[in-house]
Amino acid sequence: MSETLLRIEKLSAGYGPVPVLFDVDLTVGRGEIVALVGSNGAGKTTLLRAVSRVIKAEGTLEFDGADLLPLPPEAAFMRGLVQVPEGRQLFGKMTVEENLRMGAFRRKDKSGLNESFERVYELFPRLKERRRQLAGNMSGGEQQMCAMGRALMAAPKLLLIDEMSLGLAPVVVDQLLEVLTDIRSQGVTVLLVEQDVFAAFSVADRGYVMETGRVVGEGSIAELQNDPAVREAYLGA
Amino acid sequence: MLLAQILTNGVLLGGLYGLMALGMALVWGVLNIVNLAHGAMIMLGGYAVYYLFAGLGVDPFLALPIATLGMFVFGYLLQRFVLNLVVRSAMLNTLLITFGLNVVITYLAQLAFSADFRTINPGYAGSNIAVFGITVPLVNFAAFAIAIVLAGAIWLLLNKMPLGRAIRATSQNLIAARLYGVNPRQLYAVTFGIGAALAGAAGGLYGTIAHLTPYIGASLTAKSFVIAIIGGLSNPFGVILGGIFVGVAESLTALYFGPTYSDVISFGLLVVVLIVRPARALRTA
Ligand SMILES: Nc1ncnc2c1ncn2[C@@H]1O[C@H](COP(=O)(O)OP(=O)(O)OP(=O)(O)O)[C@@H](O)[C@H]1O
Ligand SMILES: [Mg+2]
Repeated sequence: MSETLLRIEKLSAGYGPVPVLFDVDLTVGRGEIVALVGSNGAGKTTLLRAVSRVIKAEGTLEFDGADLLPLPPEAAFMRGLVQVPEGRQLFGKMTVEENLRMGAFRRKDKSGLNESFERVYELFPRLKERRRQLAGNMSGGEQQMCAMGRALMAAPKLLLIDEMSLGLAPVVVDQLLEVLTDIRSQGVTVLLVEQDVFAAFSVADRGYVMETGRVVGEGSIAELQNDPAVREAYLGA
Repeated sequence: MLLAQILTNGVLLGGLYGLMALGMALVWGVLNIVNLAHGAMIMLGGYAVYYLFAGLGVDPFLALPIATLGMFVFGYLLQRFVLNLVVRSAMLNTLLITFGLNVVITYLAQLAFSADFRTINPGYAGSNIAVFGITVPLVNFAAFAIAIVLAGAIWLLLNKMPLGRAIRATSQNLIAARLYGVNPRQLYAVTFGIGAALAGAAGGLYGTIAHLTPYIGASLTAKSFVIAIIGGLSNPFGVILGGIFVGVAESLTALYFGPTYSDVISFGLLVVVLIVRPARALRTA
């Protein structure tokens, strides 16, 4: 495995007094696409929230060699850790273009900014057509594209994506998966949380399986696909 | 002719009312704080201009930007070190703390400035221009023009500048804004500072056309509240229009029913507006 970008060791987190994650270990190497799968309520979203520093956590959480635990979300973001959150969380009363600009809110390089705009519009021509439309008035697929575009505008080192495929037509899912492979080739690392295990495994290098707040399986995609338990629970075979 | 004159007076005064309400609407929309000390901050801006003028001989319209800037700093620090504790907490908490703030500011102002009436009275205070037989007091006209310009500046800030976009984004979705690099404490403090600065500007202008006392805050807060509800929280020009509406309504009431009723009218309007305008129309900043 390549150099570690994100290191999670014995991480515990929860909501107030309610513990949700127990001693989670997970690493993501630079340039990888890592899939994280698990049934509803397993704690995948909670893990991403802990990594993005939206909720408190204990254990080890290192990103790009630095300790993330003491940082607020905006500081984690500044280091290149960018999340496409569950439910998209767009700024619904702002236009598509304004949402994209918010992705680049903290960027200083104005020339790189125009390039990013062009790239996002090239990846999602639909966003360019709709750039003056309010994000909240777009279809689910368009909103997901907008959420992805907003994240890409931030020039991420690590992209955390939560339920990218939820509620989208298979064509759109395929298109978004293609975008993932494409941005990986540009040096972006991805941690992908997915209900659609087939989709996730089709682009990922490695995967983790979570159940009730714990990691219960990990390995290369080939290993996971041959694991009888994973096959039964997630691949319907 | 009398009616035209009355309407003109109402519109000019109403623009200033709109400016008073603008800062309150901004803070309400973004921080979800109904700032009951807003009128007291208008009062402070008025006294700042008064002392710069009466004490140091600075022209009121030059003193205005100084007072505005001073009130920005005041608001920023207040938010950063006091009000950040209650941002987005239950409405009752924010009402209580800003109510307390209003009492404290008013009390300290009475100690510092005394309860005497003050007016900011530059040499040109009584000057008028006549347009089609209507008398337009120069100072009122300047106050109106400044209100429009400041509303335009706020519109530009909110819609065309990164800071303003971040302000709107934060009011729409706090978590997403944080995930994309917004530091809410900083942003709330800046927003509250802008609200206080607008109050300061409005207060300085108000002092050139009306009496200042330490006690004007409460009724100006109430008026700003009514106008913010009429004008909505999202569009600065909507707030100015709301102010003009109230200003005209006040002038007409004074004309037809006598001046004692003009203070009552804004509360009558409040009741009407709360009935016809659904509350959700407000939450669109
Ligand atoms: N805001 C919250 N407050 C309290 N408990 C929560 C909160 N959000 C999630 N939980 C609980 O934490 C557990 C894990 O939820 P989480 O959202 O992380 O699951 P998930 O793996 O993302 O599920 P899904 O696939 O359905 O999105 C669940 O039992 C859930 O009830
Ligand atoms: Mg989830």
